[in-house]
Amino acid sequence: MPEVAPAPATLPVDTAPRKLRLPAFSREIGLAALTLLIILLFSILYPYTFKSAANFNAILRNLAFEGILAIGMMLMLVGGVFDLSVGAMASMIGVITGWLMKNAGWPVPLAIVTGLLVAAAGGFLNGFIVAKVRVNALITTLGTMGVFQGVALLIGGPGITFLPESFTRFGQAEVGGIQAPVLVMLALAIIAQYCLAHTRFFRQYYYIGSNPKAAHLSGISVERLQMLSFTIMGTIAGLAGIVYASRIATATSTVGVGAELQAITAVILGGASLTGGKGTIWGALIGVFFMALMKNVLIISRVSSEWQGIILGAVLVLAVAVDSIMNRKKA
Amino acid sequence: MSAPLLAMHDIRKRFGGVQALNGVNLEVRSGEVHALVGENGAGKSTLMHILAGVHQPDEGSISWDGKQHVVIANEHAAQRLGIAIVFQERSLFSSLSVAENIFAGRQPVSRWGAIDRRALRANSAALLRRVGLACDPGTPLSELSSAQQQMVEIAKALSLDAKLIIFDEPTAALTETETTALFSVIAQLKAADVAIIYISHRLEEIFKIGDCVTVLKDGTWQGTFAVAQITTDDLINRMVGRALSFARADGGARYGPVVLEVRNLTDLSLEGEVRTRLRGISFQARKGEVLALAGLCGAGRTELALAIFGARPRESGEILIDGQVVDIDSPADAIAAGIAYLPEDRKDAGLFLDMTIAQNVAAARLKDFGSWWFSDARGEAAAEEFRKQLRVTSHGVKQAVQTLSGGNQQKVVLAKWLLIQPTVLIVDEPTRGIDVGAKAEVHALLRQLARKGTAVIVISSELPEVLALADRILVMREGRITGEFKGEDATEEAIMRYASLHVPA
Repeated sequence: MPEVAPAPATLPVDTAPRKLRLPAFSREIGLAALTLLIILLFSILYPYTFKSAANFNAILRNLAFEGILAIGMMLMLVGGVFDLSVGAMASMIGVITGWLMKNAGWPVPLAIVTGLLVAAAGGFLNGFIVAKVRVNALITTLGTMGVFQGVALLIGGPGITFLPESFTRFGQAEVGGIQAPVLVMLALAIIAQYCLAHTRFFRQYYYIGSNPKAAHLSGISVERLQMLSFTIMGTIAGLAGIVYASRIATATSTVGVGAELQAITAVILGGASLTGGKGTIWGALIGVFFMALMKNVLIISRVSSEWQGIILGAVLVLAVAVDSIMNRKKA
Repeated sequence: MSAPLLAMHDIRKRFGGVQALNGVNLEVRSGEVHALVGENGAGKSTLMHILAGVHQPDEGSISWDGKQHVVIANEHAAQRLGIAIVFQERSLFSSLSVAENIFAGRQPVSRWGAIDRRALRANSAALLRRVGLACDPGTPLSELSSAQQQMVEIAKALSLDAKLIIFDEPTAALTETETTALFSVIAQLKAADVAIIYISHRLEEIFKIGDCVTVLKDGTWQGTFAVAQITTDDLINRMVGRALSFARADGGARYGPVVLEVRNLTDLSLEGEVRTRLRGISFQARKGEVLALAGLCGAGRTELALAIFGARPRESGEILIDGQVVDIDSPADAIAAGIAYLPEDRKDAGLFLDMTIAQNVAAARLKDFGSWWFSDARGEAAAEEFRKQLRVTSHGVKQAVQTLSGGNQQKVVLAKWLLIQPTVLIVDEPTRGIDVGAKAEVHALLRQLARKGTAVIVISSELPEVLALADRILVMREGRITGEFKGEDATEEAIMRYASLHVPA
């Protein structure tokens, strides 16, 4: 017996899917378009200061650190959680790795691997507390943020300078005019994009983020996957700290202060939702690039730093508000 | 006989397409315990919500304490009149003290506007004595048992000077001793000339403490009777007994071997639950059989399904599939063993609302679509098959499920489980909230699945649905299986009797 429902005849079956597919990408596409518009505008307004290879290189170099964090943060938000401890984690792992190679005299590769293992362990701790002990992710990572930051200061004081040349030459290397940290970010992005978009395993995060209860009842092991995503996030944050220390030859204890909020902002701008189940790695990169570009054009147009914060904050709320209004219209 | 305190006459209320109340009458006198009975969905809650000021009736009149045509505009108005409800789900604040709960928002204040703690304590202590609860008013509510919390609710009702107290399934979570204590408090209230409306599924309680009983069925008034002059059979007949609205399935079904056997299953109570829900459940389901679990809300049917599906912890008991004991500790284990479970609340636990039909259908069997290069196309092709087969009305399989009607959403959840080709399919209230046409389709589908060899277990609170679908019916009451019928032998009356009465074993 056919169900009594709005007649499908009004919408031809073959055109509808294309029309319906669009909203899933709208935030990414909208932001990419806005980014291009800003580039175009400022290329005309400031042909010498803005439109130069050196300036673009600077933009890219500065976004690499937050870009690496944002890739991990996108994975977290797809699964419906977030991690506030990533900035502090990056600081702590940079300092631990620096201390091991400078003060303890460990070989550089061993120091790096140890640093990454500590990062993974720290991330796992977050995941365990959230998934098994069931403490809210905000509280858990707010707490561990304080812990990681404290450990960074205990070990490194203000920071560890003059790191060995065999370490810093990686971070300062360039391939085809692009700095190594940017390449690390891009490589990580390609791997993460492949995993999230194409592997069955990581696909499960979209289900968990969309409805954890239904995911559990569909046989997806929500707890295990959540612990894993925190572990991956911790490791990625550690990597960001190591790469940054390598680039500036110094492991600064406070390098990550505020980076977690920057990463979350970028990821949300790039299409993620705080309620989970949405977002792509490309979106995260566009978000990060957009933020860096905004900062750059504000500096070039001599907007004072106070106003930069106000404008970036307003852009975030505006972007999400527009999205929310559009979604309500659709429903 | 004195004039009634409350008289509701010809009350009608419609929600969207559903006529929840259709000409209901209710008269309650001071010092009387008036029982209200009816099946799930008969309209009891709606009627009480009207009394509490939550809903307004579309038609009908209410008179209260001699005043005609009273309008109960909101909860405050109900409170001012002296109507209080002791809710099924407690409406208390577990982190606050007993005294703060009793006087929530109405704490006595001193001249300076600060809360007068001494008066608060003294007033609370007096009320607690009246309900026979021996505890300090400063005790945090969370430290009390659920029976004691209920006494706090009653104390709160008394503090409001309630002339009418409504008890909504008050004994559902109580032990026998606690129930006895509650009944003595009700007797005292009665002696103090308070009117009481008592809603319960347990008919023997009504014969114990009720003076009158009003019966509702499908939103219509079936009459008000003096408890002394009515028999249990009479009452049950009036609660059920309707023309079959669904035609019964073709008889002569042939079943295969037993595919699911549950042996002596007892569950563990979860956090916040007073007691376990299941006590030593044993039953079998055969290949090709439609087995129904009937019973009232709270009988433990959903808990049983969840325990079999690995989503609720078990204390003891075994589950056998095809004669082999299987170890089920999670839904993933259950799915691997060939068990599927369609949950009661599809939006809450069954669907990924913002995801597409194809993604929803694939959810329980992602491994079919590629591990290292997940193929959306293959998932979409599989979903498209089901979309056609189940006649899901949509633009295609890439449409988000939140834009579908309830019936179509339910078909999507069904498709998710059909994809795993289950040996046992448990469906929990499969037709709740979907329209008549889709209902018939779901029924046909479930029967067809059984014919193809799946053991289908249907949990339903709608007796006509149970009678139309089931080859065999198990009736549950308070975590036990209390009765078993062959589908063709069962009647609504018989099921109702086993679902709501203590039957001597």
